[in-house]
Amino acid sequence: MATVEYEGIGKKFGVETVMTDINLTVGDQRFVVLLGPSGCGKTTLLRMTAGLETITSGEIRIGGKRMNGVHPRDRDIAMVFQNYALYPTMKVFDNIAFTLQVKKFPRDEVERKVRWAADLLDLTPYLHRFPKALSGGQRQRVAMGRALVRDPKVFLFDEPLSNLDAKLRGQMRYEIRRIHDRLDTTTIYVTHDQVEAMTMADEIVVMRDGRIEQIGPPDAVYDTPANLFVADFIGAPPMNFLDGKVEDDGGQPVFRFKSLALPLPNDVRWDADRPLIYGIRPVDIEVDPGGALRGKMVMSENTGPETMIHLEVDDEDIRAVIAGRPHIARGETVAFGINPAKVHLFDPDSGQRIT
Amino acid sequence: MLRYQNRRLTIFWFLGPAVISLLLVGIAPLVFAVYTSFHRYQLTNLRSTPFVGFKNYLFVLTDGVFWEAMGRTFTLLLMSLPIQIALGMGIALLLHKPGLGYLRTLTRLGLVIPMATTYAVVGLLGQVMFNIKYGVINQLIGFLGVSPINWLGDSTNAFAAVVFWDIWQWTPFCALVLLAGLTTVPGEVEEAAKLETKNWWKVLRHVQLPFLIPGLTALFILRTADTLKLFDMVFTMTRGGPGSATELISLLIQRVGFRAFDQGLASAQAIILLILTIVLSMLYIRFFYKEVAQ
Repeated sequence: MATVEYEGIGKKFGVETVMTDINLTVGDQRFVVLLGPSGCGKTTLLRMTAGLETITSGEIRIGGKRMNGVHPRDRDIAMVFQNYALYPTMKVFDNIAFTLQVKKFPRDEVERKVRWAADLLDLTPYLHRFPKALSGGQRQRVAMGRALVRDPKVFLFDEPLSNLDAKLRGQMRYEIRRIHDRLDTTTIYVTHDQVEAMTMADEIVVMRDGRIEQIGPPDAVYDTPANLFVADFIGAPPMNFLDGKVEDDGGQPVFRFKSLALPLPNDVRWDADRPLIYGIRPVDIEVDPGGALRGKMVMSENTGPETMIHLEVDDEDIRAVIAGRPHIARGETVAFGINPAKVHLFDPDSGQRIT
Repeated sequence: MLRYQNRRLTIFWFLGPAVISLLLVGIAPLVFAVYTSFHRYQLTNLRSTPFVGFKNYLFVLTDGVFWEAMGRTFTLLLMSLPIQIALGMGIALLLHKPGLGYLRTLTRLGLVIPMATTYAVVGLLGQVMFNIKYGVINQLIGFLGVSPINWLGDSTNAFAAVVFWDIWQWTPFCALVLLAGLTTVPGEVEEAAKLETKNWWKVLRHVQLPFLIPGLTALFILRTADTLKLFDMVFTMTRGGPGSATELISLLIQRVGFRAFDQGLASAQAIILLILTIVLSMLYIRFFYKEVAQ
């Protein structure tokens, strides 16, 4: 049980600066997800926490203790790697037990702990198999078992599900979160998959180019993205971004996008002719015969429970997601509306959210 | 039909030169050696080369000189190979450490030099360096106040010099093979081990060693075969002397064949050596790869 604090963390690889001034506190027993595209520094930050990378500047504290320069083994952390990192010449039992054996735990305690982890992860039937005789999901569970028996203060996960198929990924998401809830160990989890972040995290840290773009619970990151990057990265299918400006429509502000006049949230402070980027999620576009807006349906993508339709408005593509399977023919004009409360506005220069 | 013949001709032209040279250089002499080993074949008397059956073989197998030379060869192998592998492993582990940059490249280049040097040149170098009066070795130990040692004139010292020289020349080879083996250990696996123990020996034994087994097997086979046929280095340095102190099996065969002119006997010795080498290689493979396959 421990908090993890990052204070002014910077990292250079040679002359290349990849990270500057990261400040973050991961609360005790929290499940925090570091989310970002590849190259954003999330894995580097995790590896610095584990002690596998040196810290160029700043300080990392685990449970209040400074960790800079402390050997990985002495940090009281356990890490689950992307490619599982199982020892190929050891059976499952020994893979899980190795960490205890090198610490010279008594034999019966090793046995008890390995059995406990195997039971928790449904690995008991596989204890005497070699890793190569296991499926990807089972290997991942062995890697977790190895982390569990160490009883660490902090769990570190480095994209643990990226090698699994979609179905298994969903199941493992649930299992990892369930184990966290049972053991209440502080967890830092790195991923580029926003679905994993949304479903598992207590708190999401969105990163880009070695900087933190936003920190917040999944709802907050989804509902009030701090900038264009976060708005684009979180949510699938991604948000529609429309370039235009505010216009005065008889004392009432509207957003002018090509031929459309889109509604604006009530509380927005506005200046006429101010250029803005108007963000609306596909799920927040309501296809409805009474809607004031018109677009031509050019394509639909049916995913089963819902359908994404592409609406063409003045040669621009607007995506909308609607439940079920609407019977709209290609080329048909579709009426739709936008709930102004769901609109996100961004400054086109800074990319920051305007509230 | 024409097309088919064309293709066969193409195959012949591509493979032909290699196959023919292999037959000429490798197989023909071997067949000739097998032939002579069953005959009395003395270079001084080639008019009569009667078939003698297994007589040459029987003589070799009961010949004390042959077994002594064999013993010396294996003594050399058993003394130098463990040291080569231990030193090579040490060098490989040092070079495997992250963050060495150019130093690693330079060291690797340097490691190739002893291997790339011709055996005969190594032997000649040894002859000069170990010279009792003018040799640099005696100069060096002279600075330490040690009186000159008769390296090549004393049986024990001469053998030690051969062992030393063999270690010098082949440790880098072991280091490079083991280093290549270490790079096959997945980075994540090494890091996972690093999270669990600070003890380098435990990491080596449980995590890295399994990945080194194929390389080690290759080393055992190659070094054994090389030692069994080691000739030029010792020949140029000591000529098998003093007495027969450094007369390895290949030097004995050469002496019997070209200084005593008994080709039949020398061939029989060579064939026995060949059989021994093959058997040893098979044993190595069976013994070590079993461990990997488990």
